[in-house]
Amino acid sequence: MWKELVRLAASTLWANRLRSFLTVLGTAVAVLSIVAVVSVLHGLDKFVAGQILTTGSDVFTMTKIGFIFDFESYLEASKRRDLHPEDAEFLRERLTLSSHVVARQSTTRTVERGRERAKDVPVWGVGSDYPEVGDFPLEGGRHLSPADDRGRAPVVVIGSRVRETLFPNEDPIGKDLRVAGHRMTVVGLLTARGRGSSGDSKDDVVLLPMGTFRKAIESRGTVELMVRAADPEWMADAQDEASLHLKIRRGRKPYEEPDFSVVTDEQVLALFTQATRLIYAALVGIVSLSLVVGGIVIMNIMLVSVTERTREIGVRKAVGARGRHIVIQFLVEAVVLSFLGGAAGALLGAVVAFAVGRFSPLPAAVQPWSVLTGLLLAASVGLFFGIYPARRASRLHPIAALRYEG
Amino acid sequence: MNPLVYMRSVSKIYEVGDELVYALREVDLEIEENEYVAIMGPSGSGKSTLMNLIGCLDTPTRGSYEFAGHSVEELDADELARVRNEEIGFIFQTFNLLPRSTAASNVELPLIYSGMRPAERRIRVGSALSRVGLTDRAHHRPNQLSGGQRQRVAIARALVTEPSLILADEPTGNLDTKTGDEILDEFARIHNEGATLVMVTHEEEVAQRAERVIRLRDGEIESDRRR
Ligand SMILES: Nc1ncnc2c1ncn2[C@@H]1O[C@H](COP(=O)(O)OP(=O)(O)O)[C@@H](O)[C@H]1O
Ligand SMILES: [Mg+2]
Repeated sequence: MWKELVRLAASTLWANRLRSFLTVLGTAVAVLSIVAVVSVLHGLDKFVAGQILTTGSDVFTMTKIGFIFDFESYLEASKRRDLHPEDAEFLRERLTLSSHVVARQSTTRTVERGRERAKDVPVWGVGSDYPEVGDFPLEGGRHLSPADDRGRAPVVVIGSRVRETLFPNEDPIGKDLRVAGHRMTVVGLLTARGRGSSGDSKDDVVLLPMGTFRKAIESRGTVELMVRAADPEWMADAQDEASLHLKIRRGRKPYEEPDFSVVTDEQVLALFTQATRLIYAALVGIVSLSLVVGGIVIMNIMLVSVTERTREIGVRKAVGARGRHIVIQFLVEAVVLSFLGGAAGALLGAVVAFAVGRFSPLPAAVQPWSVLTGLLLAASVGLFFGIYPARRASRLHPIAALRYEG
Repeated sequence: MNPLVYMRSVSKIYEVGDELVYALREVDLEIEENEYVAIMGPSGSGKSTLMNLIGCLDTPTRGSYEFAGHSVEELDADELARVRNEEIGFIFQTFNLLPRSTAASNVELPLIYSGMRPAERRIRVGSALSRVGLTDRAHHRPNQLSGGQRQRVAIARALVTEPSLILADEPTGNLDTKTGDEILDEFARIHNEGATLVMVTHEEEVAQRAERVIRLRDGEIESDRRR
């Protein structure tokens, strides 16, 4: 019985292809939004996780610009003076509530070894205390040392992804590679942090001593200062202290606003969480609206379909169809219709996700649960909005239906 | 034994505006099993209304109707549907086939609603189609068939459930004389095999093929003659 009903629904819908297509646009848009937005948010999530460098809640970062939410403040902030590697030195000598201050500067460069090359690899200059403020577990070799920094030694520590590209099946320690054309020796290899193949910005990295970076890669530009409080309890005071000293160094009065920003990972995460929540709220809005609109369109078209097929309903009743047979026939049709719309939407959503993953820095990927949710919602909309037309069809009097002149 | 159809003082009244239209007025009617009845009368005399009542497509406004010993007034819409499905086969003047379904699917329709399993349905559909000589047209749609062939599909659909009563409302009305005769030969065969047949017609020659002729006028039985 079910098989006949689904086949019947499919053939009826196929006979009215154009109308069916237009009918399901609403559900298609809803499911498309779900699948695409969820995949992009997932990508954003991974991206932000990759951006967070520090460990724990005892580290804060002092940057030139920080969070900017409008163009005007951006223009103003970009007029600020750069932070320098020497600022790290200066603070380290004076701070009493913090234990470590590490300068970091980043860019992307081509990294080569013989004929193997990797483009746009994140290349960082870091002060030698970097293992104290970030998550940099060593798999082999050693970390960069203060002597490397002072002597501007041509040495690097590489992430596991760089190793996979340039040193497949061999131990990279002691081997040479070229960073932006400069020959460097690998002294250390970082452990893979297993965040999956896409979007793994943490493993795709080359660390240079800050001195070497400033000499060979970029001699100008701002650095950021990663500061670790001596005790997590002291975070707030440690930030005030560091802020005060940096203001003095940059020639501002203690009571003036700082011309730099202080941010913590928690703030980054909070901001990100807030953004995610807003996007989800917008998603729920868009999806509900398109589902309701889509549902009403489906209901309308089903009512038209019932009217057009009044005689068919009469014939079916004459040969013994009961009320529920007719109800189920039209419900199946509405559900198949909205489900197909949902499936088309899911497909388009997957295309969007793929395009974003391919052409933007966000490692967007289709999340199976979003496809499932979308299809389920689409089918439920067909079921819900199909009930009224189906019941109307089932209540037609057989004689009235047979005598109907279409 | 009870008659198959037993009507007492049956009226069917329609309200048209403020006016009451008596489509049937105080009709008494009995039809025994294996009878072959023709119903005649001018247009608007109530022939179709009577057929629809006999066939449980509709219920009387007044009076009582027992079909095969069961009171039809007491049945709800779904129970009436079940009676139509199991006990009655309809044949209409305009065939009333589903246009987008093949001959076989049209014949199969009542069996689907009876809940029969697909394998058994196929066998029944095959034998019903072969009985009306349309085995080689099983996969044609109605618009690929002639009028006579369409009506034979409708006959196969009416026969496929092996009903106790077959109702035909002007079955030859849309057919030429020769094709109509073939359909009537088919009815004669069905009748000889034991079926009960009621047929509406307004052609004397057609009515002469039945054993009993009931004449209606203005919703009342004018005469009822057995040959
Ligand atoms: N649904 C209806 N509403 C109002 N009047 C109807 C309806 N059906 C039938 N009638 C009237 O009942 C009478 C008998 O109709 P019908 O049984 O179709 O006649 P016949 O089949 O003999 O031509 C006619 O006067 C017709 O107009
Ligand atoms: Mg009539």
